[in-house]
Amino acid sequence: MEGNLIKLSEEFLQELWEEIEEMGMSVKDLRRCIQCGRCAATCPMALAGLDYFIKKIVHASILGLKEIFLEDSSIWGCQSCNRCVEICPMDIKPYELILALRRMCMRNYAMPSSTIDSLRNYYEKGHSVITAGYEERRRKLGLPEVPPTVLSNEEMRKKFQEVIKQTALAEVAPFPLD
Amino acid sequence: MKRVGLYLGCNIPFRRPDVEYSMRYALKALDFEVVDLEGAACCPAFGSMPSVDLLAWCVGSAWNLSIAEEKGLEYIVTGCGSCYGSLNEAKYHMEKHPEIKQKVNEILSSVGKKYEGKVKVYNFYNLIYDLVGLDELKRKVKFPLKGLICGAQPGCHNLWPEKVFPANDENTFQPKRLREICEALGGEAPWYSTITDCCGMGALGTLAKDKSETLFIRKIKTMLEEINPELYVVGCSSCLLRGDNRQAVMKKEGKIDFELPAVHIAQLVALALGAEPEKVLGLTEVPIEKVLEKIRGGA
Amino acid sequence: MAKIGVYVCHCGENVKGAVNIQEVLDFAKTLPEVVIAKDYQFMCSDPGQNLIKEDIKEGLIDRVVVAACTPRTHEPIFRKALEEAGLNKYFYEMANIRDQDSWAHWHDKLGATEKAKRLIASAVAKVKLAEPLEDRYQEAEKSVMVIGGGIAGIFAALDLAEMGLKVYLVEKQPSIGGNMAKLDKTFPTMDCSACILTPKMVEVGVHPNIELITYAEVEDVKGYVGNFEVTIRKKARYVDWEKCTGCGHCMTICPSKAPNEFNLGLNDRTAIYIEFPQAVPKKAVIDTDNCLYFKTLRKTGKVACKICEKGIPSKNIAGCPAEAIKFEDKDEFLTVKVGAVILATGFKVMEKHHFKEYSPNSPDVLTALEFERLISATGPTEGELRRPSDGKKPKSVAFISCVGSRDERFHTYCSKVCCMYMFKHAKILKEKYPDIDLYLFFIDVRTAGKDFEEFYVSTKQLGAKVIRGGRVSAVDIKPNGKLRIRAFDNDLCSPVEVDVDLVVLATAIEPGIDTEKLGRFFGASCGREGFLREVHTKLYPVDTASRGVFICGCVQGPKDIPESVSQAKAAAASAAATVMPGKIKFEAISAEVIRNKCSSCGVCVNLCPYNAIVLEEYQGIYKAKVEPALCGGCGTCASACPSKAIIFHGFTTEQILAQIEALTTY
Ligand SMILES: Cc1cc2nc3c(=O)[nH]c(=O)nc-3n(C[C@H](O)[C@H](O)[C@H](O)COP(=O)(O)OP(=O)(O)OC[C@H]3O[C@@H](n4cnc5c(N)ncnc54)[C@H](O)[C@@H]3O)c2cc1C
Ligand code: SF4
Ligand code: SF4
Repeated sequence: MEGNLIKLSEEFLQELWEEIEEMGMSVKDLRRCIQCGRCAATCPMALAGLDYFIKKIVHASILGLKEIFLEDSSIWGCQSCNRCVEICPMDIKPYELILALRRMCMRNYAMPSSTIDSLRNYYEKGHSVITAGYEERRRKLGLPEVPPTVLSNEEMRKKFQEVIKQTALAEVAPFPLD
Repeated sequence: MKRVGLYLGCNIPFRRPDVEYSMRYALKALDFEVVDLEGAACCPAFGSMPSVDLLAWCVGSAWNLSIAEEKGLEYIVTGCGSCYGSLNEAKYHMEKHPEIKQKVNEILSSVGKKYEGKVKVYNFYNLIYDLVGLDELKRKVKFPLKGLICGAQPGCHNLWPEKVFPANDENTFQPKRLREICEALGGEAPWYSTITDCCGMGALGTLAKDKSETLFIRKIKTMLEEINPELYVVGCSSCLLRGDNRQAVMKKEGKIDFELPAVHIAQLVALALGAEPEKVLGLTEVPIEKVLEKIRGGA
Repeated sequence: MAKIGVYVCHCGENVKGAVNIQEVLDFAKTLPEVVIAKDYQFMCSDPGQNLIKEDIKEGLIDRVVVAACTPRTHEPIFRKALEEAGLNKYFYEMANIRDQDSWAHWHDKLGATEKAKRLIASAVAKVKLAEPLEDRYQEAEKSVMVIGGGIAGIFAALDLAEMGLKVYLVEKQPSIGGNMAKLDKTFPTMDCSACILTPKMVEVGVHPNIELITYAEVEDVKGYVGNFEVTIRKKARYVDWEKCTGCGHCMTICPSKAPNEFNLGLNDRTAIYIEFPQAVPKKAVIDTDNCLYFKTLRKTGKVACKICEKGIPSKNIAGCPAEAIKFEDKDEFLTVKVGAVILATGFKVMEKHHFKEYSPNSPDVLTALEFERLISATGPTEGELRRPSDGKKPKSVAFISCVGSRDERFHTYCSKVCCMYMFKHAKILKEKYPDIDLYLFFIDVRTAGKDFEEFYVSTKQLGAKVIRGGRVSAVDIKPNGKLRIRAFDNDLCSPVEVDVDLVVLATAIEPGIDTEKLGRFFGASCGREGFLREVHTKLYPVDTASRGVFICGCVQGPKDIPESVSQAKAAAASAAATVMPGKIKFEAISAEVIRNKCSSCGVCVNLCPYNAIVLEEYQGIYKAKVEPALCGGCGTCASACPSKAIIFHGFTTEQILAQIEALTTY
C-alpha cells in the first residue's frame, strides 16, 4: 500500500487464497460474492467506521491482498454477531472468512496484544477474561469467592491444560504452554 | 424437579456475579435444580480459540459440554450471549463434521473425557420461555413490574446464526421473546426500531473503544426517542457490561447526557420473584433506585 | 465392404484446443473400411460440407462419420448434405468430440486425444452396420392451441389467426390479459398498459379464427406433433355466459366479500364478480369458496342468499336482469385436436412474507406488482397514491431491487425487468408529485435494452435518488409509522439510513405454480429455476424438447413486454411452419416388432412413454405392434423386450454391440 493507492498485483495473491482455504474458508464460495453491499449496511464494523469492514474484507480477500490484513487490525474488531451470515444473499458466510483471516494472521504473528493476553489467560487459568477484584464482589453477594469453574479445581485445570496443549494453540501461541 | 446445568463463563462470575446470583435465585424459584459444572472453562470466547482454529475451538467447547454430559444433564443455561453463541456454534460444527468430533474425542480421551453432543445449550430467556412458559412465570411473580416500560435488548449472539440454536424468535429481525417475558413480569416492552442493533460491546469495544461507543449511543438515543423506557433490559451479560458499567463511565466522561438504568433479564426475573434487591442489584452502576422504588415500593 | 469417410472438425479452437487433430486423423485411417480421413476448421460451413459432398459424388465413400460437436444441433445439417449428394442420409454417424471430449477434458490434452480416437472408432463401427432408412410423413391438423392469455399468448394467437389457422386460446382466469393488465404504465415508452393491451384483447375476443376458452385448464393430453388431442376442463362459472351481458349489476348487490385477486388483495371484490372492468370476455363468475349460497349449502345443506339471482324483493332490489345465474352449473370437458401447441402461461411474483428482515408485517411494505395496482387508475385508490396503513399520501418512498433475485436462498437469476420498472415507478411518481422524495436502492443498475439507459438518466434528472451497491439489509418499523431503511452506499462508501413512508420491494419473477405440470403434459421440460426450457438458447429459442410444442413470454424466463411479444411472434411462426404444410415428416429412427419373434407378453406396451405400442391380433394371436408415427425413438421397448423381438432402426443391437466393442478395444 502506498498512500491511497493499492497495488492489485501483490506477490501474495495465491498465498492468501491457499491460507484462508486451509483455515476453513472455501475460496470458491467466497468468489460468489456479488458485492451487493447487504452485509456492509448492517455490520457493526462498518457502522462504527472501521477502515475495513466485511464487504471490503471479502473483496480484498478475493483480490488476494494479504498485506492489508497483516497491517490493518479491523478484522479483530468483528463482533462475531453473524448478521452477515444471516443476510448474505449469496450465502458466503462472511463471518467464517473473518475467522479464517484471523487464523492466518495468528500464524503470521499479526494479532493485537489483547488477543495474546486472552489466550494466555485462557490457557493458564481456563478463562479468557478475569477481572481483578472478583473475590470481593462475589463475597458481597454471598457467593463463594472463587467460582466453581476450572479456576477453583486444580486437578481439572491440569487436565484442561493437557487437552489444550494438543490443539493448534500449541503451535501459534506466542508464549510457552507449560 | 427439572435439572439444569449452570454454565458461568467468564464475565458473569468475575465481573457481574450479581447476574450469577440472580440466575441461581430465579432458577430455584422456578423449580429447577441448579447443577454446577465444576471444572468448566471459558466457552471459548470468539477472539480466543475460534480465532486459532476450528478444531481448537471445538475442543474448548467440548470440554465444557462433556462436563455437563458426565452429570447426566439434558440441558445447560448461560446468561452470556457469547457463551451461548460459541458453545452452540461449536456443537453445530461438530455435528456437521463428524471427523472434527472424532478428533475432538481423540484429544479428550487423553484425560478420560468424552463428548457425545447430547446436551442442549439454552440462554436464560429462551430457557424460561420454552421450559417454564409465560403463564407459569406470571403465576410465580411476587412483585409485578407495574407497567414499568422496558427497552428490551436480546443481543446479537442470542439471535444469529439462527440455525445453530435450540430455541429462537420466530423472526429474529423482529424479536418478541424477551419482550414477552418482560410483559409476563408485569412490565411493558414496546417494539422500537433499533432493537436488534449491536450495542458495540465485544471485540469492537476492545479494538476501537470510541468508535464502538457510537453504536451504543445511536441505539439508545433512538430507543429513548421512540419509547422512552424506564429500564434497559438485556439478554446478554456483555450487553449488560456495556449498558450499565460502560454507560456509567461514558456519563462521567461527558460523552452522553442520558441516564438509563440497566439490568440483565435474570436480575429482573429474580427481582420479580422476590429476591433481595441488595444482592440482585448490588453491583449495578447506573442509579436504579427509581425502578426499584416502583417495583418494590421502596422495600 | 463399406467405404467410410471420417471428417474431423476443429470447431475453431473448441476441439483443436484440446485434441491433437493430426494424431486423430492418422488413427482414423487405420480403422477397417475407412478410406478417407480429412479435417477442416468448420465442417458445418459450406466449404466443409462440400468436402463430404464431393467425396460422395466422386464415389470415394458411401458412409460418413463427422467428428465434431453435438448431433442435437448439427446432425440434421450433415444428413442433409448426404441427401444432396445422393446418399441415404442414415449412412451417417456423428462423434461428439467437443461436448463429450475437448470441453470436458480441456486440461488433459493427451487424454482428450485418446478419447477422440475411441469415439471415432465407435462411430465408424456403428456406421459400418447402418441400413438405408426412409423418413415417414403423417397428416397434420391445421390448428394450434395457445395456452395462457397474457400478452405473449394474445400475440401468438392473433398472428396465427391472421395466417388463417384455427386457434384455441385457453386461459385459466375468467379474462385474458395476464399480468400486463395489472400494470399502470409501461417502460420505456410510458404508454398506459390498458391502452395498448385492451384493444388487442378485444381483437382476440372477436377474431373469427380464435376460439377463446377462458376459466379453463388443460386436463389431459394425448398424441403427438400434428395430432395432439387436448382435453380441457372448463370450470363451472355458475353464470350462464350465453346470457350474461357483463352489466355488473350482481356485483352491486352481492353481500359477500373476498380479497380482490386482480388488485392483489389491496381491496375486496364480491363473491360473484367480473375480474376487472376491461375483462375479455366480460362475464361474471361465482367464487364458491366465498359465496353465501354455496357456503351455507356445504355447512348445513340449506339454501341461503341467492341475492344475485333473486335480488332483495323487500327492498325493491332486482336480481340479475339477464337471468343468467346458474347455481347448478357443472365443470365441462371438451377435447380438441390441434397440430401444434404454444405454452404462454407466464409468471408469478414472489410474495413479501419470505423477506422477514424487510418487515413484511407492515401494510406499507408492498411488492412492486401491488404498487402497480396502487398507482393504477383502475386500482383500489383510482390512482391516488395513498398509504395502505392510514390512507395518507406518502412524502417519501423507497424502492428495493433484487428482492429474492440474485439470491442463493431464493432465485439465483436476475429478474431482468425490475431495474427498469423501478425507474418507471419513480418517473410516474415524480411526474405526478414533483415534491415526493424517492430513494432507489440497487445492487447494480442494469439497463441493457433499447432506450433503457436514456430512461434511467432522465429519471435521475427528475430528482429520484439512486443508491448503488445498496442491497438493503433491513427495513424496520418505527413506532411513529415510518419505515427505516438501512443500506450501504457504494459511492459514498458508507452505510446509510433513511426513514420513509412507503417501501416497494422488487420481488422476483418466478415460474407459475403449474408450469412444471403443464410442461409434463406436453413433454416439455423445466430448467433448474423452474421455467420451461428452450431446446437451444441461440438457435431454437422458442422450441421445446417436445416437437410441435413451443414457448413464449415469461414462462420461458423473466423478460419484458417487447421481448415477450417478439417471442410470441417467433413461436407463432414456428408453430405455423409446423402445421401449415399439412403433413409432418418423421425420422426413420423408430422401433419395429418382428412378429414371429414376439411372445405376446406385452411388457413393451406399458413401458412405452409415447403410448405407441398396441397388442394386435395377428394370425389368431395377439402380437405387439408399434405405431411408427407415435414412436418417439427412445428405444425403451427394444431394450426391454425379453424375446429380442424389437428392432430399433438406427440403433440396432448389432450396432450398439459393435460400438461397445470399438470403445473397449482401441
Ligand atoms: C411489477 C412489474 C412491472 C412491470 N412493468 C413492465 C413494464 O413497464 N414494461 C414491460 O415491458 N414489462 C414490464 N413487466 C414485465 C411484464 O409484466 C411481462 O413481460 C409480461 O407480463 C409477460 O407476459 P406473459 O404473457 O409472458 O405472462 P403473463 O402476463 O403472466 O400471462 C400469462 C397468462 O397465462 C395464464 N395462465 C397461467 N397458468 C395457466 C394455465 N395453467 N392454463 C391456462 N392459463 C394459464 C395466466 O392467467 C395469464 O393470463 C413488469 C413486470 C412486473 C412484475
Ligand atoms: S452480503 Fe454477501 S454477497 Fe453481499 S457484499 Fe456481503 S458477502 Fe458479498
Ligand atoms: S459477524 Fe463480524 S463481519 Fe459479520 S456483521 Fe458481525 S461484525 Fe460484521
